[in-house]
Amino acid sequence: MKSNGAVSIALPTGVLMNDALSLLTRTGLVSMTAEELGRQLMVEGPGVRVILVRPADVPAYVDHGAADLGIVGKDILWESPGSHYELVDLKFGGCRLVLAVPEASSVNGPDTWPPLLRIATKYPRTTTAWFEHVGQAVEVVQLHGSVELAPQVGLVDGIVDLTATGRTLRENGLRVAAVLGSSTARLIANQASMKTRTAAVQSVIAKLREAAGLDR
Amino acid sequence: MQLGGVPGFRDLLPLEAEVLREAQESLLGEMRRWGYRHVITPLVESMEVLDLGLGVDQRRRLFKFTDQRGDVVAIVGERTVPVARLAAGKLRGTPLPMRLCYAGPVVSTAEGRFHHRRETYQVGAELIGASGPVADAEVIALAARCMEATGIRRYQIDVGHAEFFHGIMDAVRLPEDVKAAVRAALAARDFVGLESLLEGTPLKSAEHELLLRFPALRGGPEILKAASGLIRNKRSEVAVEELARVRELLLRHGIGDVVVLDLGAIRDFDYYTGVIFEGYGPDLGQPVAQGGRYDGLLAKFGRPAPATGFVVQLDLVSEVLASPRLPRIDAAIAWSGSGLSTALRLGSTLRLFGMRAIVDTEARGAAEAKSWWQAVGAANLVYCRGGSEVTWAVEGQRARNLPPEQVAARLAGGIS
Repeated sequence: MKSNGAVSIALPTGVLMNDALSLLTRTGLVSMTAEELGRQLMVEGPGVRVILVRPADVPAYVDHGAADLGIVGKDILWESPGSHYELVDLKFGGCRLVLAVPEASSVNGPDTWPPLLRIATKYPRTTTAWFEHVGQAVEVVQLHGSVELAPQVGLVDGIVDLTATGRTLRENGLRVAAVLGSSTARLIANQASMKTRTAAVQSVIAKLREAAGLDR
Repeated sequence: MQLGGVPGFRDLLPLEAEVLREAQESLLGEMRRWGYRHVITPLVESMEVLDLGLGVDQRRRLFKFTDQRGDVVAIVGERTVPVARLAAGKLRGTPLPMRLCYAGPVVSTAEGRFHHRRETYQVGAELIGASGPVADAEVIALAARCMEATGIRRYQIDVGHAEFFHGIMDAVRLPEDVKAAVRAALAARDFVGLESLLEGTPLKSAEHELLLRFPALRGGPEILKAASGLIRNKRSEVAVEELARVRELLLRHGIGDVVVLDLGAIRDFDYYTGVIFEGYGPDLGQPVAQGGRYDGLLAKFGRPAPATGFVVQLDLVSEVLASPRLPRIDAAIAWSGSGLSTALRLGSTLRLFGMRAIVDTEARGAAEAKSWWQAVGAANLVYCRGGSEVTWAVEGQRARNLPPEQVAARLAGGIS
């Protein structure tokens, strides 16, 4: 973060990248293609500096002030709460965090849950907190990919994972037994940027709101 | 053996250690000039004491252990509570108001802090036994002068009021469980969550709009006018009046240009009871100084008294300051044979003038002395052979033979 420089914004790679970039383009603050950004990782637009980072790293960049703003899925924020401001629900990138179990499983609503559920997930923090909240004992196995496989090989009773359309779940013989939460893309801001560079940061926020059709 | 140390705990190498220590001295020096007396509280406190002053989350982040008597004790995570214990205990005979300052490391089990540091350094000041805007303004002005004293050139102090928020929460028409959720969302700075909570309620009031605009309720005195047009409750009104008065006083203190009023400041509202503030340095993602009024704490130790104070995060100060180079050693003094006594005398003289001088531990020939000089990285080499003259070398200049007194005088006077 440089006080005199342009406002910087961290965008996530992956599924949110294209929507985030087209939102930024609609504000008129940047004009760059996804290819350009993917190649250079840091591009100066006419109005903002864009930094491309892994989705899970967006909060770190913003919390430490390396970026003034960030666009990131709510699912990431559940896992890594920090000192940033969560300002705007940008409404795109919608998906749900669900408990999914094998089709043949007897697990349905909460009354059918066994005394101890074994769950595989990439979201250990959110999973633990949610089951603690509903009063269910769980053993959480943290995996880093292909979570859908875990119940099929008997590692766990079910998984907690993100799903947008439910297709991946169906293809792996899984069905949704409970919804833990729904996630969309969020605009987050560094706490100090909001205070020391108020005018510049607020103007970018206002343009993003407008471009997202959320003028208030 | 783990030479790197325990994760989150680190060694400070000469550059960082010297910058940090100098910043600490400038801060304590400024506090002393305002009449704050220095106290040192222990690294370990009993949990009974800390329980009285700390919130659940803060308690959870303490390194705790038991002493031989079976009592649970903890390494301190901040020092306002120990200072309150002191003010109500050993210093209970001291008349109020009392001005105290302190410095030292604090420890937290959380790794999510600045650069994953679990041991950090804090310098703080507390004004105990004084209420009202004059005391509030004194502490804020002191915090500002402290930031200046460390050498931070551009900085900003955000001033808000906890009662403004309390008043809104009293007045806002919401069921109790929703109010709790609103507090939680604000504490997490989650304005998306806040918006959906407020949208879900049929009862709309002016306070709704204020809560939603919380992060934008900042600026100059005009923000106070704008806010008082919207609020309909006594508590918030009083808070706005107090803030206006504090701002006037800060103008008199001469720091009006660095003050920003922030009615939407989000802090630990269970702890703070009045004017709150944060100091921001340039190019840093988090506040360097934080403080405010906490009138409830001292009563928990049996000596009810209003109090306000602040803490400066020394790690962050040195982050802003960190100069790229270590201050140089001024003189490397080499010797051979009977030159040792001249070398020792010259070293003492230079140090008397406040210079940094190293006298070699072994005799060396002239060529070896030169490579030792390079290794030390000193600005000057003085080579003492015995006899009435020494050889003085400065980088990029021809070496000269002069009497040691002349070399000392020239070095001290900055003449080459």
